[in-house]
Amino acid sequence: MDLAIYNSRRRRNVVATAASYGATGVGLAGLAMILIVLFWEGFSGLSLAVFTEMTPPPGSAGGLLNAIVGSILMTVIAIAIGMPIGMLAGTYLAEYGRHDKVSSVVRFINDILLSAPSIVVGLFIYEVMVVPMGHFSGIAGAVALSVIVIPVVVRTTEDMLMLVPNTLREAAASIGLPRSLMIRHIAYRAARSGIITGILLAVARISGETAPLLFTALNNQFYSHNLNAPMSSLPVVIFQFALSPYEDWQKLAWTGALIITISVLVLSILARALTGTRKAS
Amino acid sequence: MSIATAIPATIPAAVTGHPPVDPSALRDKVAIRNLEFFYGQSKALKGITLPLYENKVTAFIGPSGCGKSTLLRVLNRMYDLYPNQHAEGQVQFDGINIVEPGLDLNLLRARIGMVFQKPTPFPMSIYENIAFGIRLYEKLSKRDLDQRVEQSLRRAALWDEVKDKLNANGLSLSGGQQQRLCIARTVAVRPEVILFDEPCSALDPISTAKIEELIFELKEDYTIVIVTHNMQQAARVSDYTAFMYLGELVEFGPTDKIFTSPTDRRTQDYITGRFG
Repeated sequence: MDLAIYNSRRRRNVVATAASYGATGVGLAGLAMILIVLFWEGFSGLSLAVFTEMTPPPGSAGGLLNAIVGSILMTVIAIAIGMPIGMLAGTYLAEYGRHDKVSSVVRFINDILLSAPSIVVGLFIYEVMVVPMGHFSGIAGAVALSVIVIPVVVRTTEDMLMLVPNTLREAAASIGLPRSLMIRHIAYRAARSGIITGILLAVARISGETAPLLFTALNNQFYSHNLNAPMSSLPVVIFQFALSPYEDWQKLAWTGALIITISVLVLSILARALTGTRKAS
Repeated sequence: MSIATAIPATIPAAVTGHPPVDPSALRDKVAIRNLEFFYGQSKALKGITLPLYENKVTAFIGPSGCGKSTLLRVLNRMYDLYPNQHAEGQVQFDGINIVEPGLDLNLLRARIGMVFQKPTPFPMSIYENIAFGIRLYEKLSKRDLDQRVEQSLRRAALWDEVKDKLNANGLSLSGGQQQRLCIARTVAVRPEVILFDEPCSALDPISTAKIEELIFELKEDYTIVIVTHNMQQAARVSDYTAFMYLGELVEFGPTDKIFTSPTDRRTQDYITGRFG
């Protein structure tokens, strides 16, 4: 036995472990710093007015109601459009077209879409919706967001269904279960928590998107739930207010950022709790 | 009625103390003729011809890669789930050749059930695991369905262990219980043939003994085929044994004959543990 070999492996192990801890520390420190600053700056601005009043002109009091409503509306519609398309496409890739040539092409294009800069998505919807309609609108914003939702949901749905073991598919087939029922009652059930996580990931992703909304929904300083008119949203308001020279606007921008962060956090925790208890029962 | 048919062909059991033995009573439930199977270009089964007798247990034995699982998976067309696999030849089941294209596979699989190597309960409650398959083909009242679920679980010798927790997830059971749940699920659909693909290879000896006992009981109502790596198991549970080697059927016959006086040298070598 050559102890030198063993000792050098031990030394390398110590170095690698230290590096892993270091990297984790740096990542967590960054995250902690962001959260601390966000709470520090945003929390003091939280008040009832934020949720009841409209975005103000500089120098006067106001809130973020129009932006919150706009964000919720557009997010909900984007998910309503993107989730079924994404889940169906992901199901096709994992269940029906697993060995098809078409699938590998679709998978490749989906991956490109997944990593496409969101500003390109904004420009695309600007060309196909805003220009023909002649004006910016909430619905164009929602569609732009749904284009971002689709590839995320396609990917997670496919990945999660791929994790469902083939033995389960065979077992379902062995009692004469048609494929469509197998997917609905067995594969989806087995992959449920993963698919839900994917959808929430998409919600989290679009709730902070600014670029695609700049070209599509633009902004609206008044309350509006008219989808055929320009619509305000939290990210765009944050973008606009944070860059402004007015201190009260900057304050509102911090508060808006805090609201987005907390909503995403609450949503994730909720989802974890929901899927977690289902699994245990 | 003529006088000849009125006379029993065999001596009644009461006279001999043994059940009547009448080889002509064997009925082919499934008749495999000249079956070939391909994974892409490579031939995995070569001209298999073999009967599967009704209400008997037939074991497929042979070393790994001999084609025994492949043969089993032809019988319910499981290979159809995957691309580039196909079978040629004849597998007669109730007057139809099941390897022909255009057959309704769901109906076929409802009549030829399968139990797998690893227990595969569905991600749902114990009750639903059984009821799910029944509902596919029958519309029963809640009471009848409950009864069928109980009956199926009893048939799989699992009822006493789960009757108080039918709503618990099927995955919460132990491995041996899960496998019996899968047998109950298969039985619940009321198939005619049950295929067992190494059903005990993931189980402990006690669970294995239970499953073997079950197989012995099930053959009263079903025709059973079992693939096994375990020769003692084949000897214990089966009435007929088929020994396969390199995609060919080497020898087929009554189990006691295969294990005591095989005609082929390769069979003898395998069962005495010289290879495999």
